[in-house]
Amino acid sequence: MSERQLAEVFVELADTLVDDFDLIDFLHRLTVRCVDLLGVSAAGLLLTDQRGALQVVAASTEQTRLLELLQLQTDEGPCPECFHTGRPVTVTDLTGSTVRWPRFVAAASQIGFASVHALPMRLRSEIIGALNLFDTRPGALSPDTVRLGQALADVATIGLLQARAISHRETLAEQLQIALNSRVIIEQAKGVIAERRRLDMDQSFMLLRTAARNTNRRLSDLSRAVVDGSETL
Amino acid sequence: MSGDRQVRIWAQVARQSLGEPVSVAHVCAAAVAGVGVDGAGVTMMAGPTVRETVTATDPVATGLEELQLTLGQGPCVDTFAEGGPVLAGDLRSPGYLARWPMFTPAALDLGAGAVFALPLQIGAIQLGVLDLYRVRSGGLSPPELADALSFADTVSMLLLAAAAGTRPDTAKPAWQRDDQSSHDAVVHQATGMILVQLGCAADAAFARLRAYAFADDRRLSDVARDVVERRLRFDPEPSGLSLDEGERA
Repeated sequence: MSERQLAEVFVELADTLVDDFDLIDFLHRLTVRCVDLLGVSAAGLLLTDQRGALQVVAASTEQTRLLELLQLQTDEGPCPECFHTGRPVTVTDLTGSTVRWPRFVAAASQIGFASVHALPMRLRSEIIGALNLFDTRPGALSPDTVRLGQALADVATIGLLQARAISHRETLAEQLQIALNSRVIIEQAKGVIAERRRLDMDQSFMLLRTAARNTNRRLSDLSRAVVDGSETL
Repeated sequence: MSGDRQVRIWAQVARQSLGEPVSVAHVCAAAVAGVGVDGAGVTMMAGPTVRETVTATDPVATGLEELQLTLGQGPCVDTFAEGGPVLAGDLRSPGYLARWPMFTPAALDLGAGAVFALPLQIGAIQLGVLDLYRVRSGGLSPPELADALSFADTVSMLLLAAAAGTRPDTAKPAWQRDDQSSHDAVVHQATGMILVQLGCAADAAFARLRAYAFADDRRLSDVARDVVERRLRFDPEPSGLSLDEGERA
């Protein structure tokens, strides 16, 4: 963890104050920062869909296996537990949790993860999602690292609220649904690009991000144009 | 939606459809009773810029749908632009008059104190909108919102099936076709791939994927994974649309 990287998180947080703030891109960069700053192998963010399930909204890599591992946690795994209790969930050695979360542990082990942590995204008394951290090494995170991790989860919540404030939406509920649907549009666009350019999903995502940055558009807006056919990448 | 909620939603729909093929009107009636609102209406996208009202449970709901179509403003219109629900819990609060200067007073005159517009969408696929209204003002509680969103998901499913030319099912088989793996990223990725393969729009691509999964009696996400991992392609045939399995050069 370097101070410079930590400082960059603050700079990126200030990005949320601009008009054309791109929430999905922000959350993606945040998960990448989690990997750098917390010294873990992978990170993902899940949000409540407000009808009883958690959905993936960002991940440090767009490798399909990681996305599926995150999505498995619709109702089984550290994230749903963290979401329902509102408290961090730490598993220092996944092999001990096969009875508790059979499918999740099987999928995580297959990728090579040995430990996992889930930190709640909180807004006052409400829990709106969870930050999921994975490591290929077993063991706990240091208390300082957990504290920093929680701060990064809180930064994600702030980003979501900023998106709401900028668009003058009435409620957090509206913003959550928009964020989740934006994510779906991006997945559809990844498919279009993957097929057209013969790329894998991770490469397709990077192409989308680069194009969005170069044309100064939100990831979700560009993605919608790609799926609609009004934009060919 | 979670398993328990899904069971409950479909049971409520079944209570309305009473053994008949499930229609959007049945789901609207179930939504009114289940969410605890006073009426519901559904407007669908009949073309890229064309909208048409599919159903409304009562004259106020009909009026609200018509208002939005003729005035071109209102929560229903905004959901298309914003890609998310518009939950106007109190139409009397000043913000709404500023936001919809013609719709708001007209809606209040009709007797609506609160309007909740839920987009029927799957990413970039925009099927329409489900509008719920209440006479009294007040927002949706979290459980009410959860049910409203679930009823919207159910309407989306019906509209997709209708667009794919599938014969309408009665409640039990329709419920069994309600595949929760439809939320997985692979399903959306596969939709994108298929739309390129078939040269069609996203809603047609998704409908084809669902039809294939149903015909093959497999989970949507499993079929989608085959597409994403390039074990399955959907190719148009010269004489029409079909699909081919296996490797492709």
